[in-house]
Amino acid sequence: MNPAGRSGPAIELVGVSKWYGTFQALKGIDLAVAEGERVVVCGPSGSGKSTMIRCINQLERHQKGDIRIHGQALCGEPKRDAPILRETGMVFQSFNLFPHMTVLENCTFALTWVRQMPQVEAERIAMAHLERVRIPEQAAKYPLQLSGGQQQRVAIARALCMAPRIMLFDEPTSALDPEMIKEVLETMVELASTGMTMVVVTHEMGFARTVADRVVFMDQGEIVEQAAPADFFSAPRYDRTRMFLSQIL
Amino acid sequence: MSDATRPEPLVFAPKPADPPPPSSIGAVGWMRANLFSSVPNALLTFLGAWILYVTVAAVLDWALVKAVWEAENRRQCLDMVGRAGACWPGVAAWIPNLIYGLYPKDQAWRIDLGAVLLVAWALPLWLPRVRSKVAIGLCLVLLFPLLASYLFMGGAKGVVWTAAIALGLAAFLWCWLTALAEMRRGISFGALMARLLGARDDARAARIGQASLLALYLVALALVLPLELVEVPTRLWGGLFLTLVISGIGITFSLPAGVLLALGRRSEMPLIRVFCVTFIELFRSVPLITILFMFNTMLPLFLPAGVEVNRLLRAIVAVCLFASAYMAEIVRGGLQAIPKGQYEAAAAMGLGFWQSTGFIILPQALRIMIPSIVGNFIGLFKDTTLVSIIGLFDLLSMSRAVGEDTRWLGLFIEPFFFITMIYFVFCFLMSQYSINLERRLGAGQRR
Ligand SMILES: Nc1ncnc2c1ncn2[C@@H]1O[C@H](COP(=O)(O)OP(=O)(O)O)[C@@H](O)[C@H]1O
Ligand SMILES: [Mg+2]
Repeated sequence: MNPAGRSGPAIELVGVSKWYGTFQALKGIDLAVAEGERVVVCGPSGSGKSTMIRCINQLERHQKGDIRIHGQALCGEPKRDAPILRETGMVFQSFNLFPHMTVLENCTFALTWVRQMPQVEAERIAMAHLERVRIPEQAAKYPLQLSGGQQQRVAIARALCMAPRIMLFDEPTSALDPEMIKEVLETMVELASTGMTMVVVTHEMGFARTVADRVVFMDQGEIVEQAAPADFFSAPRYDRTRMFLSQIL
Repeated sequence: MSDATRPEPLVFAPKPADPPPPSSIGAVGWMRANLFSSVPNALLTFLGAWILYVTVAAVLDWALVKAVWEAENRRQCLDMVGRAGACWPGVAAWIPNLIYGLYPKDQAWRIDLGAVLLVAWALPLWLPRVRSKVAIGLCLVLLFPLLASYLFMGGAKGVVWTAAIALGLAAFLWCWLTALAEMRRGISFGALMARLLGARDDARAARIGQASLLALYLVALALVLPLELVEVPTRLWGGLFLTLVISGIGITFSLPAGVLLALGRRSEMPLIRVFCVTFIELFRSVPLITILFMFNTMLPLFLPAGVEVNRLLRAIVAVCLFASAYMAEIVRGGLQAIPKGQYEAAAAMGLGFWQSTGFIILPQALRIMIPSIVGNFIGLFKDTTLVSIIGLFDLLSMSRAVGEDTRWLGLFIEPFFFITMIYFVFCFLMSQYSINLERRLGAGQRR
């Protein structure tokens, strides 16, 4: 075992709680995601899925419990957490590309400004990832000139440029038209095949069945149950899970 | 079922697009749709056209047709056309005063030179293939005032002053050399020097680059040292020149100050937030004219005896603070319009506060704020007329002085008309430029 605890889980949440004012959005979440594992998180709207995934990369600060990334605990101090959080990349429901930069600039920006990489090198990396999501020909366009599916793929490429070991997805296909969902899911499947650790909040149960190692079901700020997809879909143990599945399948 | 029994699928052939019906396009179509769509609309169109015709004709009649172009004094004008036509010779005789105020006329070339320098300095910003535009722009905003203030004020220059003026001049030379190098060779001035002198590695190239900057500064210093200009006290400054100085400084100061205040107002640090909120609310709830009075009459009371702050400086400080408070609220509005997702995406990629603010949030916010920012600039430009109240001779006060001249006694309307045109031209240009800028920056960013 190395000092960073690399052989432990990639992500570990122990008793994580989070309040918005007096409203408790997360109620003591325990979750461990192994290196290379693909976890799909589902649950009804407002159950705290986004809050949980956003706590993992500290877009929201948790008030109780511990979060460890590759064995290193987050302390809630942005400066000190920054090097630990470099291991994570995030893809949002609404893409959140920077509309005033071209696709290529979106991808190179953080490389040049956060990693202090020379422009040429950054562009080489960015183009490699744009090729990986199969839109290198759009590099010079602005995000709003692309379709939703293309934008989301750019967002994935942009996150990958920072070479994260963990990718977090918050409903990456929910804002897309049905025709475009497929192209984004294909990109994610391809990513999964490279052994990336992935936590995916999604209602795409087809994706969960084929790609996930584990499905986590949340309701009211708690993890109700978690199981391998085969068991989860065929034999859910809780009535709440059954009801949820009957609604979305 | 076998293929034989299945009917052939129908082939979908989309219809070709038809051109729009002729009555809806072209000038006739536009007029029919917008001017004569109904009887009341047609009547309003005729009424509007009539009002427009009457007013424009009356103004043109007075200003051009019946106007007097040559006369010795107002009496002659009145004898020729009475009050039916404008008396332009009075305005023409006063044009130097309207532009330069009481600035000694044999020194007015310094103001002209300053204006030319400003335009020349800004020019590379619009040239193609110049990449260091940010650096040139920053040099312009930060260092042009050093050069210009000596040019306009003159007088004895101490060691520090000399160094500062040389810095301004060196910056000007650097901007143009870099612009030229980038246009011709695509590399910066320092890199060009390194290449010309045959630098072999990066470290030596960097050293040559620095050395050439130093050499440039020494050249500038050598040019500045023998330069001696007569002192022109600021109480002689006036006219359009003064208006441009006050509003120019107000505009360049208020934008960055407003951005900082707006960021401070959203800060999580209570001390900074309270300071910014207090400043903004204080200056926004008091009329500019009151602030000008306060600074003019009360500031000297607070300062230790013997410390003399000149009147122009007091007015400029007042205008700057006032304009910053207004700008802060405009910027805050722009910042609020940027979706939270932009901050989150920046944070998720590891960008710090200043990086995400400076490169992600502000560029987007400033773009949507262009109309209100320029609106504020225009307002500020016109508000500078208030400095006449504390005894500065801006464009407006100079135009009033025309009618107090014994030769042109009572000639008020013509000079007012003339400066109205000047104000209009400046404000209209600003507004047009903002529309143009908005369109250019918006290219490719709209759905
Ligand atoms: N910024 C916020 N302020 C207050 N309440 C919030 C905020 N964000 C989320 N919530 C609340 O927390 C709960 C969980 O939200 P969220 O994690 O977004 O759910 P999900 O992603 O599962 O739909 C919801 O009830 C929501 O209303
Ligand atoms: Mg959500």
